[in-house]
Amino acid sequence: MRTRTSLLGLAFLTPTLVLLILFFIMPVVFTAYFSFTNMSTSTGIGRGEYMLTDTLLRRLKSEGLSQADVDAVSRETFTVDAAGHDTAIAAGVDKRFADDILDNFAGQSFSDARDFERALRGLRSAPRSPRAVKEAARAFTHSALNTRYRTPDELSAVLTAVAPEVEEETRDLIVHRSYTGHVLTTDNFRKLASAPDTLQLIGNTVLYVGLTLAFFNVSLGLFLAILMFYLPKRASGIFSALWLLPRITPMVLYAVLWKWFTWDSGFLPTLAAHLGLPSFNYMKGSIVTAWITMICSNGFVGASFGMLLFSGALRSIPIQQIWASEVDGANRWQQVRRIILPQMRWPILFVTSYQTLSLIASYELIWLTTNGGPGSSTTVWSLSAFKTALFNYTGNLQYGLGAAMALVLVVIGLVASIFYLRLFKFNELLTKPRIEF
Amino acid sequence: MTNTKLLAAAAVILAGTTVTAAAEEYTITVWAGGTNPTENYRLDNIELAADLLEREAAINGEELTINIEKQSWSGWDDFRQAVTLAGEAGNGPNILVAGHDDIPTWSKSGLLRPIGDYIYTDTYPLSQIYPNLWDVVTYNGQIWGVPQDAEARVMYWSIPGLKAIGWSDAEIADLPAKVKSGEFTLYDMLDAVKKMQDEGAVAAGDGFAPRPSNGGDYWQFYQSFGGEIADEESGKLVLDKQAMQDFYTFFADAVDDGVVSSTYLGLPWDTWHGSVVEGKYGVWHGGSWHYAQWTRQNGMTDFFDKVQYTLIPAGNENGRANSITHPLAYLLTAQGSEDEAEIAAELIARASSPELNAFHAVKSGHLAIGEDEVNVPLYANDRWLSEASAFLPDANATPNNVNVGIFQNDMFAGLESVWTGTATPEQAVNDLEAKLHADVGDDLIVR
Repeated sequence: MRTRTSLLGLAFLTPTLVLLILFFIMPVVFTAYFSFTNMSTSTGIGRGEYMLTDTLLRRLKSEGLSQADVDAVSRETFTVDAAGHDTAIAAGVDKRFADDILDNFAGQSFSDARDFERALRGLRSAPRSPRAVKEAARAFTHSALNTRYRTPDELSAVLTAVAPEVEEETRDLIVHRSYTGHVLTTDNFRKLASAPDTLQLIGNTVLYVGLTLAFFNVSLGLFLAILMFYLPKRASGIFSALWLLPRITPMVLYAVLWKWFTWDSGFLPTLAAHLGLPSFNYMKGSIVTAWITMICSNGFVGASFGMLLFSGALRSIPIQQIWASEVDGANRWQQVRRIILPQMRWPILFVTSYQTLSLIASYELIWLTTNGGPGSSTTVWSLSAFKTALFNYTGNLQYGLGAAMALVLVVIGLVASIFYLRLFKFNELLTKPRIEF
Repeated sequence: MTNTKLLAAAAVILAGTTVTAAAEEYTITVWAGGTNPTENYRLDNIELAADLLEREAAINGEELTINIEKQSWSGWDDFRQAVTLAGEAGNGPNILVAGHDDIPTWSKSGLLRPIGDYIYTDTYPLSQIYPNLWDVVTYNGQIWGVPQDAEARVMYWSIPGLKAIGWSDAEIADLPAKVKSGEFTLYDMLDAVKKMQDEGAVAAGDGFAPRPSNGGDYWQFYQSFGGEIADEESGKLVLDKQAMQDFYTFFADAVDDGVVSSTYLGLPWDTWHGSVVEGKYGVWHGGSWHYAQWTRQNGMTDFFDKVQYTLIPAGNENGRANSITHPLAYLLTAQGSEDEAEIAAELIARASSPELNAFHAVKSGHLAIGEDEVNVPLYANDRWLSEASAFLPDANATPNNVNVGIFQNDMFAGLESVWTGTATPEQAVNDLEAKLHADVGDDLIVR
């Protein structure tokens, strides 16, 4: 009987578990893996290949590879012989053309790819398509340069054929370094620990989360909830609907509204100009106004969350306590201070902790409004992680470094969650009630 | 259904298949980055080329249908994100129009096919493209793109502003030569715009209006103070600390002088273009292509009466007057079959004919890519293009290095911190050095 119950329980849990694995555990595992790699646009996400290039050879030369070795491995020869003819046929080159090449140039060598190609193009059977001619030329070319090999052994074999005099050790080094994909490394974390802008990012993030929480998500949310508590029911309904607008408006539209509001010749600057106050682009024109814009735009979204939650909590306060206090002659302020606030401790703590986590990870609205500017003055950790990994002007996306930054957030989130669960005594919330209803 | 009917149906279906097999149909996708409305011919020329190719095929008795799907991005960040991620996911386009500086990263990661394997550069129309543009799209000895346009980046000067501080017509006409010789420097420019502000010719803070966002333009100022982006011999990036500090100091001085505000960066492009057209700025710098934006989109009619243009002046005796050209190129991606790649390469070659490229050049204010294009009447009759071409001999392109984009982002971040006053030039250069060592490792030479 016991097993059946637990199996049934497991069956009920399955959808949650699947979603949890797909949308939380897997991304975290990938992020953790990526963060220990040097993965970027140039390495690609998938498996790399082995390719010897001029750039790599120049680099190796500056690290001490001899000129003789560089010359040897970058050697290119174009020899027309029977073996090349067979390779060409096997590669699908037109037989008549391949025969023609062998008949006309057998035993000849060319020193330059262009000369060889031109000679082939001169043949009567030469195909019209450049690709076909170049493919035929490749069959007679002996070179290790600029070809992508799937395995190190393939490149090594070609290198041995092209430059047999190069020592095995050197060859192995060249092959090793010719890998185009990503490798495992702890450099990302070292970089984050030593980078000069890390501290500024942390400072910005702490300030952003702290100020938004203090002024909006908690204080304004609580203020609104109490205000609505005392308002007549109809009025409070309209009022709460108005305050929910920022939350239900699509993010992009909401950001555009803020732009109209704060941009040059927008609502606020125009109003300020009429009043003789400084009028400029408040969203990006100064560090202070950019911060105010960032905190207000995010705060109005967060305030509605606090408002809803606190309103619910307020309803659970026995109304008799308020009546009793009125009988005792308490005014509104005394009711708030002595009755409401003491009973709101847990909801306040909950909103604070929950919103801390969501604010730390949120960057979309900042990206759409101040975009971290002016300069990097409103750039927070998560925005910087997003830009590093996925979105920057020069398009050199550093997936590895960005993942390392994201992983830091994941770790902070997990540690904070565990702390909050203990703080709220989650276990006790789940135990059976002591009083039977 | 009877057997006869079945047979008949099968025959009809078979006949249908044979017809479709004889007619070749391709869908070629082309994406362009950093493309404004005046630059539509980057994509449209591929469409025109498809029409030409279809007609050529028809004359040869072949039935060829090419559908072109085009998409453009006005910015670079979202375009590069799309290209990289779509490429990794295997559903990117066949043809890209992107900067030459994307070639190192994208070719290394295997996102591109070397287009040199699909074209002959010595046959018309590719044979008439300038050799130095071919050099820009060559990396590791392979040709990765066909040059799509060229440009110069220019320092623009308000003629009314200069006149207001007492410059004669002759002095204004002499300015380009004086800048080029190094006689007139960036600091002379600061003095001039400060005077313009003092005279009331331009409003306070509007004297100097640099590019409002990150861009290759800022390398020019590094070069003005003698900086070199990469070492020719080893190909490594170069951080010339003195030049970088002088360049940062110049912008800090500009802010101190009050000719540009400390929070100027991030100004929306539309506002910037609008102010240029209204003649609000004393001196500003941008691309030769911005001329098209101002005259075609913003309705500026008296450009030549109002604006003088020069190279970016030298900063001090270490540097030189210069300009950076950032040619875009048609790139062939690794997506699709070999046959599609071949068709795409043929389209690119045809789109690079002098006549088609002249559509793009003239409409968008870009410079010709080949020697025959300058003779195309549409191009030859355009005053701006012939004037801007004069800057090309002094223009250089950024080097093709995998890490040059990271260097640029770091360089710009340093500039931003100096500009907004959060760091001194010296601090910013030291931070930049530390960051570059972390970001690009031993791909860096510090001087």
